[in-house]
Amino acid sequence: MTGRGRETRLLLTGWSLHLPGIEEFDGAPPEKAATVLGRKGMLYKEPATRLALCAVHRALGFEPGHRVSGPIETGTAVVACSNLGNVETVTKVTRAVEAEGGRGVSVLDAPNVSPNVVASTVALWFGFGGPNLMLCSGGTAGHAGLRMASLLLRSGRATRVVLVGAEPEDEIASILHDGPLRSGSACVILEPWHEKAGSLVVDVDPGEAAAPPRRTVGSGGFDVKERWGDFYGAHGVVELALAAHLAVAEGEGRVGIGPHRTDGGPAVSVTVTEPVGGAEMDPRTGPNA
Amino acid sequence: MAVLIAGSAVRTCLGAGAETFDGLLRGVCGVSPLRYGDSGRLNVAYGYHAELAGEPFRAGRLLAECLTEAVAQSELDTATQRVAVLVGTGLRELSAVERLALTGEPVSAERLDFADVVAETLPGATYVTTIVNACSAGGHVLALAQDMLELGECDAVVVAAADAMTRSMLAMVGRVAETPTERVRPFDRERTGVLLGEGAAALVVVPESWEGPALGRVASTGLSCDAHHATAPDIEGIARAMSDAYTRADRAPSDVDVVVAHATGTALNDPVECEAMRKVVLGGGGNPLVTAVKGSTGHTSGSAALVNVDVALRIFASGEVPAVAGLTDPLDEGIGLRLVIGDTVAARPELVQVNSFGFGGVNAVTLLERV
Repeated sequence: MTGRGRETRLLLTGWSLHLPGIEEFDGAPPEKAATVLGRKGMLYKEPATRLALCAVHRALGFEPGHRVSGPIETGTAVVACSNLGNVETVTKVTRAVEAEGGRGVSVLDAPNVSPNVVASTVALWFGFGGPNLMLCSGGTAGHAGLRMASLLLRSGRATRVVLVGAEPEDEIASILHDGPLRSGSACVILEPWHEKAGSLVVDVDPGEAAAPPRRTVGSGGFDVKERWGDFYGAHGVVELALAAHLAVAEGEGRVGIGPHRTDGGPAVSVTVTEPVGGAEMDPRTGPNA
Repeated sequence: MAVLIAGSAVRTCLGAGAETFDGLLRGVCGVSPLRYGDSGRLNVAYGYHAELAGEPFRAGRLLAECLTEAVAQSELDTATQRVAVLVGTGLRELSAVERLALTGEPVSAERLDFADVVAETLPGATYVTTIVNACSAGGHVLALAQDMLELGECDAVVVAAADAMTRSMLAMVGRVAETPTERVRPFDRERTGVLLGEGAAALVVVPESWEGPALGRVASTGLSCDAHHATAPDIEGIARAMSDAYTRADRAPSDVDVVVAHATGTALNDPVECEAMRKVVLGGGGNPLVTAVKGSTGHTSGSAALVNVDVALRIFASGEVPAVAGLTDPLDEGIGLRLVIGDTVAARPELVQVNSFGFGGVNAVTLLERV
């Protein structure tokens, strides 16, 4: 095994919480995504895709309406987490075929019948040409996404990973989920770990010797599901972005996500390597913003 | 670091792996009248259906058969080894959402993926995740499995893929066809489009230190995303995946003896794939035989890459490269490529390339070596 293989740390260089209706982290709902992304290109973009684009846009620190131009970034990968992103379109298309035949269906919905539309649209919109993964693994999709992002960085497949979670709230999604869903999205930008003062470090497997976190995201701490609702496939990314926010913007320094391990320690930690004293930061965006 | 394949199982319309390969060698076309949805409304009259009773959860049931068979073949002990399972799929079990929409038949979101199928079939697996990457999902999970083994994260990875059909995807297939396609004709001048094929596949992937028998070696899988168009493929994006595969394996295009192409028989994929192979493979000094399976099996979506890997392993074992069923008159962009037409070709390849490309411009190109 290589040293890179044993490395469990990653740099977190940007984040966003785009949670429509939640005061501190409010963001445009899907139907108003153009206020963040600009008006062009919104046609036939599903709510989950719009939310994901908004979260990435904000994590990258872009001004409202800013559009990316220039060559494709082949080193940037996308890992998107969403379970129910396209179920409304699948339902709509199926019912339209039943009622009117194929003529009742628009080819502009073709990308949306494939669930990976969220991940591939992020790549297309921002010009990310690295590996592109769509994770649909239920409530743990966000945590699986972090693991896959870590894998892409440590295997050298990417020099930067855009990890985004987005979940819609619609009638069919709520029926499938069998309980209330909360619509929203979050994004974290991850890079391979290296020594960098003042940077934010995600440890995907903090050892037992690691210092205990000053704050916890999850049950017994800031419980996202209890306080805000169930973001389902996006939940893990929301937790990660929230931990980054608490560590930096609220000065906690070291935040655990968990506890999930048998020894009671956090499964994942987010730590500021040195206090980012005096930095003026938008609490919703990362230090690079 | 290369990894070994210790077990491989597939299901297609032609049957299990041996039956599928035998059908390919005989040029069999597994098409049949569409058994799913209303063919008149969908403007899709045919499909490549697996032999399996009943409509619900077909992908998961095909997957379970493959998981069981591949693990048994490898003699992997899922109880004592750290075994991760990565499932690739294009359309998940979204047909269950369509039944919910049409009939109100209840379904839980948890059944749309395959964690429940894996838990039942391989109860010892320590880690399961589903990656939904359109028609190259199988290639993507194979790439990640190799990464996990190289980084020592587990002892073995069961890499699997499964797809049946959804009405919504059939509707899009029918929407772009002038008249319903009767069969898939990869790389042919007279091709009329794609048809879906049901399929599943599972591979047991292990490190080089594996002491049991192996079917082949995975040298590398290159990944890329076009970031070019929502549905249309892009030569540059595909070329990047190919180049990534060669770089990772420290191989050159001239080392490739056979390509098992993606070749969907669509207006867009086939010329772009040919151009990319001419640019990267021929341009890099290679001159491989090029074959493809979808004329026989239909487009098995997320399973397509792993079905092609199984075919590659059987080419190693048999010394025979099947011809492309449905191909008689190659498209202009295929000129210069050694497409296998008409009869099988005897060959003893050392390196086989497997192409897979998906909606959204997600590309995976795998290089396999003889063991």
